[in-house]
Amino acid sequence: MIEVQLQVNGAGVQYTVPDHTLLVEFLRQNCRLTGTHVGCDTSQCGACTVNLDGVAVKSCTILAAQASGGSVVTVEGLAAPEGKTLHPVQNAFVQCHGLQCGFCTPGMIMAVDFYLRKPPSLSEASICHALEGNICRCTGYVNIIESVRHAAREMYPELDAPGSGKS
Amino acid sequence: MIGKPIPRVEDRRFVTGQGNYTDDINIDGQAHAAFLRSPHAHAHLRSIDITAAAEAPGVLAVLLGQDYLDAGFRGVDHIPNPADAVISSQPAFLTSTTGAVFNQRHIPLPIDKVRYVGEAIAMVIAETPLQARNATELIDVDYDVIDAVVHGADAMQPQAPQLWDGAPGNLCFQTQIGDREAAQKIIADAFLVVRREFHNSRLVNCQMEPRSAIGCYDATAETYTLISGSQGAVRQKLCIAAALNVPPASLRVVCPDTGGGFGPRSFVYVEQIAVVWAARHVRRPVKWTSDRSEAFLSDYQGRDQIIRSAIGFSKEGRILAIDNEWIGNVGAHTVSYVPMSNGTRIMTTVYDVPVAAVHVSAVLTNTVPTAPYRGAGRPEATHVIERMLDLAALELRIERAELRRRNLVTRDKLPYRSPMGLTYDSGEFARNMERALELADWNGFPARRDLSSANGRLRGIGMANYIESPVGAPRERIEMTVLPEGVVDLVSGTQSTGQGHETTFAQVVAQYLGVPMSAVRLRTGDTAFVSIGGGSHSDRTMRLGGMLLVDTSTQIIAHGKQIAAALFHTTPECIDFAEGKFSHSASGQQVSLFDVAGHVASDGMPDNPSMKKLFAEAEFNGRVPAHPTGAAICELEVDPDTGIVTLLNYTSVDDVGQPINPLIVEGQVHGGLAQGIGQALSEGCYLDRDSGQVLTGSYMDYGMPRAGSVPPLRVELTEDPTSGNPLRVKGGGESGITPATATIFNALADALRPFGNDELAMPATPVVVWEFIHRKQGSAHVI
Repeated sequence: MIEVQLQVNGAGVQYTVPDHTLLVEFLRQNCRLTGTHVGCDTSQCGACTVNLDGVAVKSCTILAAQASGGSVVTVEGLAAPEGKTLHPVQNAFVQCHGLQCGFCTPGMIMAVDFYLRKPPSLSEASICHALEGNICRCTGYVNIIESVRHAAREMYPELDAPGSGKS
Repeated sequence: MIGKPIPRVEDRRFVTGQGNYTDDINIDGQAHAAFLRSPHAHAHLRSIDITAAAEAPGVLAVLLGQDYLDAGFRGVDHIPNPADAVISSQPAFLTSTTGAVFNQRHIPLPIDKVRYVGEAIAMVIAETPLQARNATELIDVDYDVIDAVVHGADAMQPQAPQLWDGAPGNLCFQTQIGDREAAQKIIADAFLVVRREFHNSRLVNCQMEPRSAIGCYDATAETYTLISGSQGAVRQKLCIAAALNVPPASLRVVCPDTGGGFGPRSFVYVEQIAVVWAARHVRRPVKWTSDRSEAFLSDYQGRDQIIRSAIGFSKEGRILAIDNEWIGNVGAHTVSYVPMSNGTRIMTTVYDVPVAAVHVSAVLTNTVPTAPYRGAGRPEATHVIERMLDLAALELRIERAELRRRNLVTRDKLPYRSPMGLTYDSGEFARNMERALELADWNGFPARRDLSSANGRLRGIGMANYIESPVGAPRERIEMTVLPEGVVDLVSGTQSTGQGHETTFAQVVAQYLGVPMSAVRLRTGDTAFVSIGGGSHSDRTMRLGGMLLVDTSTQIIAHGKQIAAALFHTTPECIDFAEGKFSHSASGQQVSLFDVAGHVASDGMPDNPSMKKLFAEAEFNGRVPAHPTGAAICELEVDPDTGIVTLLNYTSVDDVGQPINPLIVEGQVHGGLAQGIGQALSEGCYLDRDSGQVLTGSYMDYGMPRAGSVPPLRVELTEDPTSGNPLRVKGGGESGITPATATIFNALADALRPFGNDELAMPATPVVVWEFIHRKQGSAHVI
């Protein structure tokens, strides 16, 4: 057993868990944050993507103990806790119909959140590269890619200016 | 509200992580199940020693198939033979040359032998998932491994290993539809005969949510509860209750948010029965969640249909007759014959074919059972006829679009009865194709091909026309209650696996009752309050459910007029209803729908004072004649050095009827198309043809489409109205996928024409394409 301390969505949590506990298990079972999903067992699908210390990680691929001392943001913590305002990425997925069954969506959103933490390229190739680690079966990705662009334009209005990296 | 591209009302909970899938649910005191699965495709079970497993830490029980039978349960009847596409009160396949149509009850854990790699043999229930899983490894099974057969045609050979005693020759059934003698005679005399075999590859469903199930048992009331995502709670309840030998009322099935359906989740899985059985056995809730590796070995799979086609053409390119041989690979258990019934019924698609016949064989093999997978037989049928038309066009030297023009069912022939017995009531087949040709600039293609050639690329263009059939479970029900607090409560027998019912149902009700969409509350997926309904598949939800929403709304308005008339001391005929209000123009009095509901709550209905709810119910059992149809065109490039295929653009003209929400319909087209692209170019469930071992067991070796797999799209919705249902719904769930592999394979064949005319294996992965170009033998084979 090992003691794991984390900041999760801004709040400190501490549990003693078996050494082999994955971060995703820690989040789902100990923290009861079930928005982070498990869609595979080979680190391919990305449904478990969370943000750890500013970087998008697949939480099935890291031990909770390795993350200990760090700060995690899950899909539950993405929007401002007060009020009803969605994060621009969450809102974009709603507006663009970027989800159907919703199972891959939290991981998608966390991957896109990371991609958009600095001014992004909105080219098809760049967006697809950013989404390479996330699998969706429902949408054909068409509206997910649209959601990325929609969120980016909301977060970086200057991207809509002529000649601003849309190529 | 109808027809508006409104963002979905259910999305907020999904984007904030508040979705509630089965694995997100935990019941106090729950134990956990794990399954030992077979490493062999075919083996007698000589003995199973559970001693060590039963003594392992945390283990509560180890259960085998014999324990299941000893508990008084029986195998589940999957009802594999579906309701007929035309006469829904009878099964699709009535006769078999082998005798009766075979239907083997499916015992959750086999008694005698295992029949596919991954079949569950034993269940361990333990305090934690890890303890349960570890204990499965302590079970000692003595296998007598015997020969396996995984390919449908191999299984029909006289010496093939036999799966079930009740199905000699591995045949579930064999039957003849249409006049084969007449078809063969016409073909023998035809100017041109095209013959070709197509193997529509086996697919893994790959819904993103791994299957999960929680079983509960109330020993006092002797009732069971199953919590498990699926495509329809009512079917699960009826099939599982029958297997448990209890009345349906003794089992409640709860279906929370479900992470994708695509067909196979309409059917019962053995693990779902096993957890409720286990819950009774250990007197605690029992939970099981599949991992993805298990999903690749045990989720019902799609396609795997072999079709040998012969078509006779006149010199002018008219189809004279079709004679098809259809071999459906059922897998190891009789779960579903839907792909064969759907596929054979639709096989002449939108073409005016004078004579058609098909000989169908449903074949058992040592593979995961197959089930309907998006389109379920119709993409396979479309693939065949559209490839055959392109092959004929080459031989006849008739341009491909022109050959289709000569054969399409023209508008003036509607209603048109196909030789397979379907009646098309609407559809501008020619107009749809012409529009697709225009959007795709079909005529400008040669110049684009020259451009690609100059860059060392092989460019191709292909097309396919398609039509769907209105099949699926024929029975559906809607209950509508207007509550005084401003809510229209709906209970529906169908439920979403991602299609956005909370939005589209609200749009329909808002339109008819003049209430805000936010007033509509849809409840589904729990047999505690859902009594009847078929679930989501085959485009049936809005076709049947929509009709019932209109029916119940109309009833509510009629009830409301009665009440308003009583309030205003007039007759119902003098009451108007608009924008959610009943009004009496003579007196200028008005009352809102919800205030009417308040009056009913206090005083009851005028004709029935004890009825204190403004309530309507409607039920349907039958077929709604609605045929989604359309045309698709794909343009692609092949890199001859690598065999890599790049889709350049894709055009889709789809008549889905009236789209309730175009945003959602287009999303359905995108998703279906991605699955079609996956099947055409990357997805294949590869098995070793001799041993039956699974070669594609994870997302690392199964070619799921990724972002970027779908090329730039032109999706255009069109409508030739059907009069068969009040909302003019045809269906949008399968329009993307149905013509997809046909379109892509026609484009590929066009690009690769300089290298010959043989059929490419499916999926046309880079190695398949490269070998085609470089004329090497022994390309990858997909069973």
